[in-house]
Amino acid sequence: RASSRTPQIPSRSGPKATPGNDLEEARARLHVSAVPDSLPCREKEFSDIFGFVESKILDGTGGCMYISGVPGTGKTATVKEVVNILQSERDEGNLADFTFIEVNGMRLTEPRQAYVEILKALTGQKATAEHASNLLNKMFTSPGPRSVPVVLLVDELDLLWTRKQDVMYNIFDWPTKEKAKLIVLAVANTMDLPERMMMKRVASRLGLTRMTFQPYTFRQLEEIVASRMKGLRVFDGDAIQLAARKVAAVSGDARRALDICRRSTEIAELRSEEENIDSPMVTMGDINKAVEEMFCSPKIVAIKNLSVQEQMFLKAIVAEYQRAGIEEAEFKKLYDQHLTLCRFEGVHAPTMTELAAMCYRLGSIRLLLIEAGRLDLCMRVRLNVSQDDVMYALREDEGNRS
Amino acid sequence: MEIDLAPEPPSEGVADLTLGSQVRCRKYQVQTLLSLFGQRQHMTPGALFVYGHTATGKSLVVQTLLSYHKLPHILINCVECSSPRVLFEHILNNIPQNPDADIPDCDDDDEEEYIQCDDMTSFVRQLTNIVSEKPFGEQTLYIVLDKAERLRDSHIFMLPALLRLQELTGLNICTILISEIVWEKFRFGTGFNEPYCLHFPDYSRHELMEIMCLDSPSTCDKELYSMYINIVLSVFHMVCRDLRELRHLAKLNFPYFIEPVLSGEADATQTRKLWRNIEPHLKKALKSVYLREVSSQQWEKMQQAELENPDLEQTLTPSHRCQVELPYYSKFLLIAAYLASYNPMKYDRRFFAKNAGKVSKRSKLVKKNERASNHLLGPKVFPIDRLMAIFYSIVEGKVVPSAHIYVQISSLVSLHLLSQVKGEDRIGMPKYKCLITLDFIRSIARTVQFDVMRYLYDFL
Repeated sequence: RASSRTPQIPSRSGPKATPGNDLEEARARLHVSAVPDSLPCREKEFSDIFGFVESKILDGTGGCMYISGVPGTGKTATVKEVVNILQSERDEGNLADFTFIEVNGMRLTEPRQAYVEILKALTGQKATAEHASNLLNKMFTSPGPRSVPVVLLVDELDLLWTRKQDVMYNIFDWPTKEKAKLIVLAVANTMDLPERMMMKRVASRLGLTRMTFQPYTFRQLEEIVASRMKGLRVFDGDAIQLAARKVAAVSGDARRALDICRRSTEIAELRSEEENIDSPMVTMGDINKAVEEMFCSPKIVAIKNLSVQEQMFLKAIVAEYQRAGIEEAEFKKLYDQHLTLCRFEGVHAPTMTELAAMCYRLGSIRLLLIEAGRLDLCMRVRLNVSQDDVMYALREDEGNRS
Repeated sequence: MEIDLAPEPPSEGVADLTLGSQVRCRKYQVQTLLSLFGQRQHMTPGALFVYGHTATGKSLVVQTLLSYHKLPHILINCVECSSPRVLFEHILNNIPQNPDADIPDCDDDDEEEYIQCDDMTSFVRQLTNIVSEKPFGEQTLYIVLDKAERLRDSHIFMLPALLRLQELTGLNICTILISEIVWEKFRFGTGFNEPYCLHFPDYSRHELMEIMCLDSPSTCDKELYSMYINIVLSVFHMVCRDLRELRHLAKLNFPYFIEPVLSGEADATQTRKLWRNIEPHLKKALKSVYLREVSSQQWEKMQQAELENPDLEQTLTPSHRCQVELPYYSKFLLIAAYLASYNPMKYDRRFFAKNAGKVSKRSKLVKKNERASNHLLGPKVFPIDRLMAIFYSIVEGKVVPSAHIYVQISSLVSLHLLSQVKGEDRIGMPKYKCLITLDFIRSIARTVQFDVMRYLYDFL
């Protein structure tokens, strides 16, 4: 029967057993989904949001807050944490009753579906987008006497953008209504989203209550990882710091830092199995290896592992660029260059068909940017790596061979 | 190449490489295909790509091979598939019922439900379901896509998915693409399951002879017919290697060739006489019927008339095909447009003004170098003001610039004699281009007694 030639992920049945040793325990704790109870390094932001929401609930008024920050700075986690605390306060009877609704722009098939989601969460009713928006309008403009405050979290706000911006407008307009007790927490990645994407009337309704989550510094990242590792002695003293510094230098993304730490525990485990150490520790070397794996571009490795003719074709491209002085060349020019190179090297020259196949292969692994094949000789080819990278990869290759 | 790999049309020990003498001169290709197909239950390569020039027997070989050996197959012409839906439904509804049916039987379709399908995912699912139920089960199912170059203009997923059909369905399916262009021109996007490419080379002259001699009429001697084919090829082979065209021409002109033999004027052995009789006729056919200036029917009629009355000199080449009846001013407008398109603007003064400036020797020298370039480069764009200026200077008598004149310009545009380049209205200063040939404008200028050559810069 037919065999699958595409590589596939091996399947695994059933969940993994509970952590056995320290490293596995560490991995479980370092997993991104294992959100800790308290979020370190976000105390100030937490108290700001908490104060904002609590005061609005207590006053029985509505309002908007815009929260921005690069990915992995803990925006969603902090907001969720605030809501959790508020909900437990409410359950203890210290706070008036309120409803919490979450809408994620990424999970909606279409921006206007947001209305449907909100209505469903509020009343359990199902309706079309238009009908839902009418119902919600009515609900927020003339609420019943015993209505409870609603806390609405809008995650990934930029995806709710429509040409008329009616979804954004409505979501920010309802809290400004006199009797609506709606508190909107809008979360997005860019700080200038209101100025860049929204019309004036939408941005003004959003108001000026804004909060920016700064990227974590390396000290904060170190603290985050350390807080998760409390009670476990898995990492070397400076290992966490190294990971934190590397991540902080690039993005300040906590998820990335956790991933690196997790990967380095795996590397440490493999290493310890080889060397037969009982209680392995994650060293600086392991972290370095993990960082290299995650941050290094695979393109140079790919170039090094190409076939001889393909490497020669890359050389021909670089030669043609240097000759013409433009970072783009037509295929026929490259073919001439390639033939010349082959003659110099004393290698059998490929036919046009073979070279076109090579060019397409390099294009489909995105080392080159090429046009559709129907243009054949006039197809323009550009490098998707820098010329220096190509020369570096190929020179090293020659060194190894000789 | 070994022949014992051939599929088991079990009774015959050795495969018949001429497929019951329906296919000639394609021994190597048939052999390759047979060995690729292998036994019925064998896995065939997932995709084959068959390419070659027009009329090199690509479709013929593949189709005859499949139906001769009674292999389950589906034939589709991609030109007919205007949308993916048509293609999918055609395949799904034409899967052969049993292994012995050489043509998918469409009669049963009324009883069964017509299968509907409009996307790739459900196509693959339904195909898997249907094929695994069919009685030919394990045998290779061949899906033949003729004129496959059309698939490139279809949806972007179409070609990659069809090439990978074997892997997607997990069934023994082979997709055969037939096309006239090479595989390089099919590539786009990221990654194909590269098919096995099989080239059908052109027929040589000898092979063309062999094939064309097959359709000799029963009334005619084989020797005589092959001589006739030889003559036909000696005239047409230089310009045309297309088997279909050659066969058509041979069939069309055969009555003329055989006429002296039938009427007893010449013997079948008098080669020279027959040759001298037919050769000018074929030369004439090359000029008119090959270019489809006269239809085959007209040609046959003319031939008949000529045979009945040989003295009658027929005007076979219709030189009037580029003649259109136009109003008087339209003709001048068209001439003016032609002059504006093909003359450089700086020489307008010299041609059309009353007291033309002196032509210096130097400009004459420059002109020599530029000569004929305008007619090679094609028409230039000109504004309507220039057109009207030239028009008023060449037309005789006083013409009122009324609405009639401007309407005539727009009607020339709608007849595709001029083309409007930009500007929709008179106010927006429209620009035009003249789309007609020199012969055409000369014949028009002749009808109004205007010597257009005298005004063309290229021909001075």
